[in-house]
Amino acid sequence: MRLSYVLACSLALTAGAAAAGAADTVARPEKAEVCLACHGADGVSQTQGTPSLVGQPDRFIQWELVFFRSGRRHDPIMEPIASTLSDEDVRALGAYIASLPIPKVPVPPDSAPDETAGGAALVEQGHCAACHGEKFEGLQAAPRLAGQREEYLVKALKDFRSSGRPSMGLAAMNEVAAHMSDENIDAVAHFLARRR
Amino acid sequence: MAKYASQVARLGAVAAAAALAVAASATGAGAQQLKHYNSAGKDFWMHPPPDWFLGDETAGQRGLAPPAGPATPTPLAELNENLKHITLPPGFTIKVYASGLPEARQMAWGNKGTLFVGSFGATNVYAVTDGGKTVKTIIKGLNMPTGVAFRDNALYVVAIDKILKYENPEANLDHMPAPKVVYDDMPPYVAHGWKYLVFDAYGKVYVPFGPPFNIGNPPSSVAQIRRVDLNTGSAEIEALGVRNSVGGDIDPRSNQYWFTENARDWISDDAPSDKLNHITRLGEHFGYPYCHQGDLPDPVFAQGHSCAEFTPPVLNLGAHVAPLGMKFYTGNQFPPEYKDNIFIAEHGSWNRHHYQGGRIERVIVDPDGKEAHQEVFASGWIKGDHDYYGRPDDILIAPDGSILVADDWAGAIYQISYSK
Repeated sequence: MRLSYVLACSLALTAGAAAAGAADTVARPEKAEVCLACHGADGVSQTQGTPSLVGQPDRFIQWELVFFRSGRRHDPIMEPIASTLSDEDVRALGAYIASLPIPKVPVPPDSAPDETAGGAALVEQGHCAACHGEKFEGLQAAPRLAGQREEYLVKALKDFRSSGRPSMGLAAMNEVAAHMSDENIDAVAHFLARRR
Repeated sequence: MAKYASQVARLGAVAAAAALAVAASATGAGAQQLKHYNSAGKDFWMHPPPDWFLGDETAGQRGLAPPAGPATPTPLAELNENLKHITLPPGFTIKVYASGLPEARQMAWGNKGTLFVGSFGATNVYAVTDGGKTVKTIIKGLNMPTGVAFRDNALYVVAIDKILKYENPEANLDHMPAPKVVYDDMPPYVAHGWKYLVFDAYGKVYVPFGPPFNIGNPPSSVAQIRRVDLNTGSAEIEALGVRNSVGGDIDPRSNQYWFTENARDWISDDAPSDKLNHITRLGEHFGYPYCHQGDLPDPVFAQGHSCAEFTPPVLNLGAHVAPLGMKFYTGNQFPPEYKDNIFIAEHGSWNRHHYQGGRIERVIVDPDGKEAHQEVFASGWIKGDHDYYGRPDDILIAPDGSILVADDWAGAIYQISYSK
């Protein structure tokens, strides 16, 4: 499993490097190529379980890299990559990724409108917009949720629920997720993946 | 939709039997409706109400969420630039003492001149040596080790629900000994669970216990300050009715404990005021959740109580200024009128429309708490309405009489000195 994952990433790395965009507004650090190999050449992930980075705030990217680097957040691929980053690398990657243009991706047909409505209600009740923005566009160290891969949002909420992942905002995500059922998590992810 | 509606209800209703009540809304039409949480089970103590810091806001306060500091410590060159914004009284200067300490919090001196520094989320304790030139991370992986204290050749660290003791740390900075847990009768939640430690002259340590929500009737074991004997584990409840206290000091004139307290949120930008308090007798009640700033009954939680029943603050410090670490000035460098004045590190606002605080206040007050007034000592860390160059969170007197200031936003320690 892991081997094929790495292989897929290295193939993508070649393609990503070739497609380095001229539209970038911030100098592209060399180390960004490793990121985009898995997270998508334009920051939009095509890989199951791997989040899109496009639209993520500078400070969110930096904090997650610091969490991986210090071993406070666990992932077999991200931890070794982050362990090689200096503070300067972290700042440069945050600025670069936050500068990627957000492509217009159409909302896919909604196969489960009930679930979307349920997710919307849970998101309102959980005060998600207070930190993530009224359009879930991401603010400060709170990530963009709009348009994120649905299965990744499920994974993230489950990681927070088990306290397997540290949360910014005074443990806010650990506390919010602690009380969520699997069904609630699915509904919230379904709703957020369809925001634009 | 009905299926999800029931789940919505389940998510919100953390409660069956109501052991405590929390305000649904501090203002507006729903003011008298209390929502209930059940503190009888383990779950409440592991995971407090998820809306403990958001949830009571009005429509006009929507979107005021805690600011997230930089992920990496501010580089030295940038710190030096930032300090150009700081204003001080004539004769005083500020410089960077040490940098590269992510999320630096409470500071304590060792016997041999090592400066120990706790941290907020970074899980680390640092040791600063060589007059600020060398910074080492000596302990990693603790749960919010904000508070540190040093006594009898041992370093004490508080990490939410444990006080840890490290023997002879200054001889072992590169390989710290395994700690001994010396006190753990503390709840495991993070919400208002981060603490500072203050030893008194008798070797007892003052420990705050914040409630795991903004406003509510607290379970009887929290919203208090205990004085703990770490040798026996016995504790006295020194103060009741205390919300979130992160900082205090012993008055060298009286040996009594004074402490800062962060008031409830979401009433308004200008109320209630954060407080400076003074304990003069065992078990005094400082008003939370019934009364704020000495004269403001809570709109929901006064529950028939009058402010006259409670100990008023020595001084109201201002709304949303977030007073944290404080020290009586016992050094010999500053002008004589500074003797026994209190320096308070104000961390600054997180949910005020225009931030205030983010500075160091000087409080002049008699030993009995009378004749108190404050003046701004060092300011300029607020950038615009909603950003910071830094956030002061603790004060320590250096052996030469200068003061050190910890800043968890920039991950730095500053030194403020005086010369004629």
